[in-house]
Amino acid sequence: MAFFKKILIANRGEIAIRITRACRELGIGSVAVFSDADRDSLHVFLADEAYHIGPSPSKESYLNYKKVIEVAKLSGADAIHPGYGFLSENTTFARACVEAGITFIGPTVENIEAMGDKISAKALMKKAGVPTVPGSDGGVETVEAAVAVAEKIGLPVIIKASAGGGGKGMRIVRKMDELESAFRACRSEGQNYFADPTVYIEKFINDPKHIEIQVFGDKHGNHVHLFERECSVQRRNQKIIEESPSPSVPPEVRMKMGEVSVKAAKQINYVGAGTIEFIFDNKTKEFYFMEMNTRLQVEHPITEIVTGVDLVREQIAVAAGKPLSFKQEDIKQKGHAIEARICAEDPVTYKPSPGVIRACRHPQGPFMRVDSYAYPGYNVPIFYDPMIAKLITWGDTREEAINRMQRALTEFVLTGIKTNIVLHKTILDHPTFRDGTYTTQFIEKNFEVIEPQLFKDIEDPVFLIAAAITAYNDRKSKDVRQLNVSSTWRRVGRKLQLRT
Amino acid sequence: MYFEAELKGRKYKVDVTEHRLSWKISLQEEGKDWVHHDISKNDYKLAEQYVSFLFQGKSYLIDVVGSDTEYNVFTRNSFRSIKIFNDEMLLHESLKKGGAFGGDMELKSGMPGKIIEIFVKEGDIVKANKPLLIMEAMKMENEMRATRDVKIKEIKVKQGDAVETGAVLIKFEEP
Repeated sequence: MAFFKKILIANRGEIAIRITRACRELGIGSVAVFSDADRDSLHVFLADEAYHIGPSPSKESYLNYKKVIEVAKLSGADAIHPGYGFLSENTTFARACVEAGITFIGPTVENIEAMGDKISAKALMKKAGVPTVPGSDGGVETVEAAVAVAEKIGLPVIIKASAGGGGKGMRIVRKMDELESAFRACRSEGQNYFADPTVYIEKFINDPKHIEIQVFGDKHGNHVHLFERECSVQRRNQKIIEESPSPSVPPEVRMKMGEVSVKAAKQINYVGAGTIEFIFDNKTKEFYFMEMNTRLQVEHPITEIVTGVDLVREQIAVAAGKPLSFKQEDIKQKGHAIEARICAEDPVTYKPSPGVIRACRHPQGPFMRVDSYAYPGYNVPIFYDPMIAKLITWGDTREEAINRMQRALTEFVLTGIKTNIVLHKTILDHPTFRDGTYTTQFIEKNFEVIEPQLFKDIEDPVFLIAAAITAYNDRKSKDVRQLNVSSTWRRVGRKLQLRT
Repeated sequence: MYFEAELKGRKYKVDVTEHRLSWKISLQEEGKDWVHHDISKNDYKLAEQYVSFLFQGKSYLIDVVGSDTEYNVFTRNSFRSIKIFNDEMLLHESLKKGGAFGGDMELKSGMPGKIIEIFVKEGDIVKANKPLLIMEAMKMENEMRATRDVKIKEIKVKQGDAVETGAVLIKFEEP
């Protein structure tokens, strides 16, 4: 007896495919939804059913929760998996699912409410005895108030959209004269992406690490953690490489972080998969609560790889009312896993680079996993996140996992658009990454000039010869075309000449 | 076929001759000697969607994207941009250079995206480093600022417009 009959996946791209795979393995039907720009997205091809839900901008399609529920009813889906981003932490949507008699695969509305708003979440954690970072302790409405807070706690500060996440609606301010435009940008991003302009301000802890704990709860009061992920390699405040376990967390701190996280999850009677993010001071090994993400994370595969738990399957089972399939003592970290997020972006400026993928050949081989929606001829749309694939490798040791990732990246052929693959390769070779001491400012500090490191082994003639042959062929084919449109008389004449 | 090429600011003369079984390609970097490469067509072969190029004992998977004068050569996880001109285009290019302005006379879009907000209007005099507009691409908002003191001559876009890479957004004149 399957957990559900049919699940609608209210998302797109690689995560929609990840969930479709879980459904298929469980014998559950899968329903994809897509916008105008996503008719050709791989998630549409791979699901059992697919329905158009609106124009390309997210606001008019993937965020249109009424339309999503309408399609769920139409297709006969009895559950909806929201993936990450979009509607995954939207209480209006979660509530509308409940009212429509459709199971929302995720935490309860109360869970999302308690943790979704970062200001109330922080207050709640502070009350529960979890260490937190000094800041505005509430929303900041005006530039003047923002300046006052910044002056009180001292620069640098970080401004965050209260409803934000995934690096959107977030700005670090190091100089007072940057404060106004950063404040304005955060409010505007908050309004545009999360329909809430509220922002708050926190002391920006210099040179910290980002460590998070995966937690899981069921509807029977069981709560466990599945250890940590380190996600300190970030550009534009967005993670691009994650690993588990963290090379910086000593065993006793790991246990303590896990225990605190389980306590926090119990406190709010959390149901489903969640992640508690901490700011980690590598010098003192102290950690502070940053936020809780009440959803599946992009980087969930590394936890799956080291613990052997299928997190999406578990989410579906828990949503169907089953107790957790494992106990805390069953969970062990085996070996080491790394994930690299492959994005359609310039590896030097980090500017998005949407467009048509020409050649695409995914890496293969032992002890690795590829979650990707790229294929040859696919046009990466401008409307959504630039991440097009995740590479995950496993190794018995950290070094083995890193070397395997290097190998996998080298094998990855993706042309036609710019990607950050070379940035990943450069990072993995960097001594500060290799020794594990890297922090969230690692990229900012070390990769201002990565261009000289690109192609260090390739001589100019390789590029020139390839370009010259192509240019030659282009011009030759133009000449041939001109020849073909020439008059029949001339062609006959030429043939006659050849005969004599 | 004779070309002039530019790669990372370095200039090359290039000569390509096609034979039945091979390519003969001669390269001369500015100020250096000609180097001749004999490439067997068996060493430069289309496979899957890309070219397998065996060159000096090394194996490269290559994809060349582009046309006319601009080509991007992809290999080993990234690419390099190469400009290639034949004689006629060379002439055209040099003519264009002669008539160009000194400073940036326009703000161009560096990527495809959507115009979220415009802070200036035609006729405004804008100081260096002041925001001109906000553009959104792939969920990120990018504030584009004036690189020097300018007067706004013409605004070519309006709020909500979708623009392509290289589109002119704002034209400037000297303040």
